[in-house]
Amino acid sequence: MIQKKVCMVGVFGTGKTSLVQRFVHSMFSERYLSTVGVKIERKPLELDGTALTLVLWDLAGRDKHEDITGSYLRGAHAVLYVADGTRKETCDQLPELRALAREFAGDVPGVLALNKSDLTDSWALGRDDEKALEAEWEMVRTSARTGAGVEETFRRLGQATLASKEARP
Amino acid sequence: MTATAMTSVRVDACGQTDIGLRRKVNQDQFVIMKLFKAAEVQQTSVPDPSVFQGLRGPEGWLFIVADGVGGGPGGELASQTAITALVKFLSEAAGCFNNMDTDKEHDVLEQLEAAVHDAHQQIQKEHGGGSAPGARNSPPGPATTLTMAMLVWPRAYVVHVGDSRAFYLRKGRLKQLTRDQTTGEYMMDTGAWTEEQARKAPMGATLASALGGNDMTPSIGLIDLQPGDTLLLCTDGLNRHVPDERITELLGRGGDAASACRELVEAALAGGGQDNVTVVVGRMLPG
Repeated sequence: MIQKKVCMVGVFGTGKTSLVQRFVHSMFSERYLSTVGVKIERKPLELDGTALTLVLWDLAGRDKHEDITGSYLRGAHAVLYVADGTRKETCDQLPELRALAREFAGDVPGVLALNKSDLTDSWALGRDDEKALEAEWEMVRTSARTGAGVEETFRRLGQATLASKEARP
Repeated sequence: MTATAMTSVRVDACGQTDIGLRRKVNQDQFVIMKLFKAAEVQQTSVPDPSVFQGLRGPEGWLFIVADGVGGGPGGELASQTAITALVKFLSEAAGCFNNMDTDKEHDVLEQLEAAVHDAHQQIQKEHGGGSAPGARNSPPGPATTLTMAMLVWPRAYVVHVGDSRAFYLRKGRLKQLTRDQTTGEYMMDTGAWTEEQARKAPMGATLASALGGNDMTPSIGLIDLQPGDTLLLCTDGLNRHVPDERITELLGRGGDAASACRELVEAALAGGGQDNVTVVVGRMLPG
């Protein structure tokens, strides 16, 4: 079985754990419990006739007390960057996160999940902001609450790991 | 138990278990293991054989606590069987922590998870398992919690089933690495119960996942430790009587692992001692 390590990075509270819970367990919880260290989940997928398992490393979000531990990113086959569309500052930190990921994981594929798309009333990004992100990133609007875009995001990541020139076994 | 371990830290580790003030048997178990590389130089022409000493140092540590569920012999046997099966399985797979690199890391995690599944099946086989874990006050079922940390410096891999806990203390801040697998937690996750309802409901503390039970879903995580950190594994006999703030204070006093264990157990007994209590403390001392 092919296994691919996917690291999830982002600022605290962007919904990384909720995306994993939706994708792996088809559930969503309104409770917010910050992740400590790394939580690991597995999800088998079949992509174009190829069976693979995504090993999802849900990393504790960056906050004012602790930065993301770069060593967790070593050996990642892909990175899922998660930003919260209701907090613009979570997008502002994406370039730094990408630099960190490149330092420790190399030039592996990445997808940006612009999360909480169901919260339209408090959406903080204008059309131009989103266009700018789309120009820089392979981006999917997601909602862990409704499930919108979640399956697509992880399938894109899976396909990217299979297609990557840097693909390792 | 202190040993110079892996690069730049010494690990001072100790465990302690106590029957508590109300129970007739102690159903808790713990184990602390040092994991060594197998290489040992038998003979050499090299003038200074001390250059090979590094080959013999401990390369990892394994810490486990288990809390048998229910009264009677079932819980006691379940926690014993779990610890024995895990240690046996991991001893046979001990090479898995050697030559650790990022590509092999998932093999280690799979071995740890396989060890837990093996222990689960062993309990069911030996003690007629498959029974539901049930509430703590209900007739005994052959089931047990399990919280395990394998330390290959600086990384601690944590595999967890049930409501025992793993914490680490860093710079005066205590963080819980595990989440209780109980009905109360599950109901709060789904939004069906508030925290207060979960605390008051008779079923709130019922295990939703246990070795030997009907449901057994290990959660897996990891953390990179730093010199000065303290790792704590405990059964719920500690945290039901000693709040996190007090645990932080006791661990933060900076004594050795043995005195930290003693003080934690004493605090649990002073707080009521209604359950068995077990703690395992590992101090990562700067080397």
